[in-house]
Amino acid sequence: MQWMAPMTAIYAAAVATPLLVLMYFLKLKRREQLISSTLLWKRAIQDLQVNAPFQRLRKNILLLLQLLALTAFLLALGRPVLQLQIGPGKRYVLLIDRSGSMNATDANGSRLDAAREQGRTIVQSLRSKVAFSLTEKSDQGMVIAFADQPKVMCNFTSDKRQLLRAIDAIEPTDGLSVLGEALRVARAFAQAPGEDTNDRSGESPAQLELFSDGRIRDATEIVVKPGELNYHKVGEGSDNVAVVAMQARRRFEDPQTVKVFATLVNYSPNEVLSDVQLSVDGDVRAVRPLRLPPSRPGDGQEQHHGTGSVVFEFSHPGAGIVEVRQLRKDLLGCDDAARTILQPPAKLNVLLVTEGNLALQSALKVCPLGSLNVRTPVQFDSMDPIDPDTAAPYDVIVLDNCSPAKLPRGRYLIFGSPPKNVGIEVGDEITNQVAVDWEARSPVLEFVDLSGVFVAKTRKMTLPRDADILCEFNNSPAISLLRRHGSPMLLVGFDVLESNWCFEPGFVMFCYNALSFLGTETASAQESSLRVSTPITIEGLSPDLPGKVIAPVEKSWDVRTDASGTLRFAGTNLTGLYSVHLEDCEPKVFAVNSLDIDESNITPVREIVFSGEMVKAQSGAPQRSNVELLPLLVLLVLVLVLLEWIVYNSKVKL
Amino acid sequence: MSETTQTSSPRRLTDLLDAGFLARLDALDILSRKILRGKMQGERRSKRRGQSVEFADHRPYTAGDDLRFVDWNIYARLDQLFLKLFLEEQDLTVHVIVDTSASMDYGNPPKQHAVKKLAAALTYIALVNNNRVTLSTFADGLVSQLPNMRGRNYLNRIAELLLTTESAGPSRFERAAREITASRIGTGVMIVLSDFLFKEGFESGLRRMVSRNYELYVIQMLSPQELSPELSGDLKLIDVEDDDVAEVTVSGALLEYYKRNMSAYCNELKDFCTRRGATYVLTDSGKPVEPLVLNYLRRRGLVG
Repeated sequence: MQWMAPMTAIYAAAVATPLLVLMYFLKLKRREQLISSTLLWKRAIQDLQVNAPFQRLRKNILLLLQLLALTAFLLALGRPVLQLQIGPGKRYVLLIDRSGSMNATDANGSRLDAAREQGRTIVQSLRSKVAFSLTEKSDQGMVIAFADQPKVMCNFTSDKRQLLRAIDAIEPTDGLSVLGEALRVARAFAQAPGEDTNDRSGESPAQLELFSDGRIRDATEIVVKPGELNYHKVGEGSDNVAVVAMQARRRFEDPQTVKVFATLVNYSPNEVLSDVQLSVDGDVRAVRPLRLPPSRPGDGQEQHHGTGSVVFEFSHPGAGIVEVRQLRKDLLGCDDAARTILQPPAKLNVLLVTEGNLALQSALKVCPLGSLNVRTPVQFDSMDPIDPDTAAPYDVIVLDNCSPAKLPRGRYLIFGSPPKNVGIEVGDEITNQVAVDWEARSPVLEFVDLSGVFVAKTRKMTLPRDADILCEFNNSPAISLLRRHGSPMLLVGFDVLESNWCFEPGFVMFCYNALSFLGTETASAQESSLRVSTPITIEGLSPDLPGKVIAPVEKSWDVRTDASGTLRFAGTNLTGLYSVHLEDCEPKVFAVNSLDIDESNITPVREIVFSGEMVKAQSGAPQRSNVELLPLLVLLVLVLVLLEWIVYNSKVKL
Repeated sequence: MSETTQTSSPRRLTDLLDAGFLARLDALDILSRKILRGKMQGERRSKRRGQSVEFADHRPYTAGDDLRFVDWNIYARLDQLFLKLFLEEQDLTVHVIVDTSASMDYGNPPKQHAVKKLAAALTYIALVNNNRVTLSTFADGLVSQLPNMRGRNYLNRIAELLLTTESAGPSRFERAAREITASRIGTGVMIVLSDFLFKEGFESGLRRMVSRNYELYVIQMLSPQELSPELSGDLKLIDVEDDDVAEVTVSGALLEYYKRNMSAYCNELKDFCTRRGATYVLTDSGKPVEPLVLNYLRRRGLVG
């Protein structure tokens, strides 16, 4: 036991104890009463004292009780503390993981609840400022909740109630565990004064306290100094079956038939038999049993999880919400289902502007298009679109190695040299290019193998900063996506006739993907199925249009489009269906899914391997230190005073 | 008798006792269980055979006997000399000793009122029966004394003494007893009226008063407040006689112990008296004196 204010207690004791004893020795003010003789009264007093049990003690029991009460009070003034962490005032940053895996219910409630509780223990253990002390500083705490993005719940403060409120205000998400950004924020707040200017003060940097299950996606990219971070592991179980991939596509030959592909993963060490249910607009269409092998350790630190796939096929001519759900009860619920928005079958009207490209024309012809018109660049320039900004006659315009004088608003797939005035600089000719890197997960390059693509000659291009490069040659970007004047442009930076790509089956797949991506059908479907924390974006709306977004947890937000007519909503933290209601528009539904093979792995990690530093989990939950005995002592004082009152009254009434 | 008390003296016995009570006292006399010898013939029949009209017994004549008491009728019948023995009527010394220490002024009503009434009644009875009466008051020793009074003429003096004597000063019973017994003469009845709450003890004083010639009556007068005190709270009890202080926190247990001690003390006094042939009477100053004299003391044989 340590004392936080011993001098206060000593000063008070020096004053109060002699005072109490002095007061005790001062005679009780008794009422004077004349009697005939004290003879018999004295005998009675003697008899009473002789016959009373513990009469010697009884004589002074009031003084004893008073002294005990005073002692307890003085001890309380000294603010005794159990398990005191001594030293100057410390600063703590509480990093609380609120990603999807923290919703697992294996810690007497959710893991987030357990993390909150452990955080509360740390907060309650913070030392408060010692009364009458000019030098001692109190401990300070800061609370950061993190998933995909960090959120500062409370800046450094010594107000425990504020810190506890901040911890209670942390809401769960179904997002990913990304710690790096949270650490950067924490360090920015936590660095000691003068650290930047190499003028270090005596104040030590803040201690980072991480409450997580250890499934940190970017752990290997984070550098942690030894002793900088304490890891408090939350959770024990690993029993989880998740839907990690799902796609619904209409059949190429028969657009009314929908095929749904889903991949499920078992993370538990036991084999699992799960029922997988397919429902459309809430109506169950099919339930299939699926046996998933157990998760087994592989070579090194890799873990081979039991994976299984299931394919459903059903007929559905209209639009709908398709949901795949595994029905087995497990620890994590947010990844048990995946949803997608099925658009009604639609045919695209495509305009090909070319001087003549048989390969491209053939590839486009095999795509399920409503119409394919071919124009020369001259014809394209002479076209007078009725109102090109609002009602494009073609869903997608394919430009093959031509630079039209003007580009009406639309969606463009551009092969070869890019159009002018879009910010692309075309440089010298380069030869013998091969694809070295590409975004295989991009919907444009889905099922497209670019490994064998060879380009004999092309021109080096320098793209504007806002362009997304989807594929790179060894010297120049090959395929990129950029937006200009509200028009998305998918740019293939080489002439396909100068490459062997047009002979590859992947070229047709790319054309199909590109048209689907740019066209209304796939574009809207793609935008309607989002990952957690991916913002909802709707373009081409009227500026400053009010609306409302309704979340799956019966929560709604008022939103408004910006000046360019784009609506952005970033609060997609939970899986489920989000509906956007805009004035004078049909409501739009967006499906937000977890679909992350790492985040669904809820097996807690005993040691997090950061870049160059391994941080082991603290043994056991944090124990409360700095337990002040003040309330107990105050209670003791009250009990003693009550006891004294009872003794006093019994003494009078005996 | 009422005329005797209605003298010109400003202090009269009727100030203490009402006329009706006095009239009833006229019929009483001080009795003695022993026939005690007095200095002169009075109205009391003593056990000593003497010159009197009341025949008691006969005894054979021995040489030297007064021939005037020979029963000649028996001599005529039996031819033997027998003396006629008569019960000699002797005067009785009634010594009433009244405690006038400060403690007698305690109580509601004060004990001294009852004690003075009782003393007046007893002395009245003794005087009207032509007994020799001595009235003494004591506190810190013998305070005052009216010795050897006989006849109704002394009633006013007695009333004067009783009414003018204030209760004051400490009790020195042993010293008072020594002084009283030193001046004691004759035989008779000695009646001590006091609360007997003597810190120095009552034993030595009473031991002096007990003698072959005097029949001792001990009348302990206690107030209701002493017998059953109604006190509560934190008190500083001050002794009225010596300012001795007892600080008490009055509780139920303390009152219980006080009452037990009071009872034990009275029993102790009673035992002491009984063992020495004295008669002990405990009275409550809150109760009227008349029934005490007319009934209780009569039953106890003091008056009859």
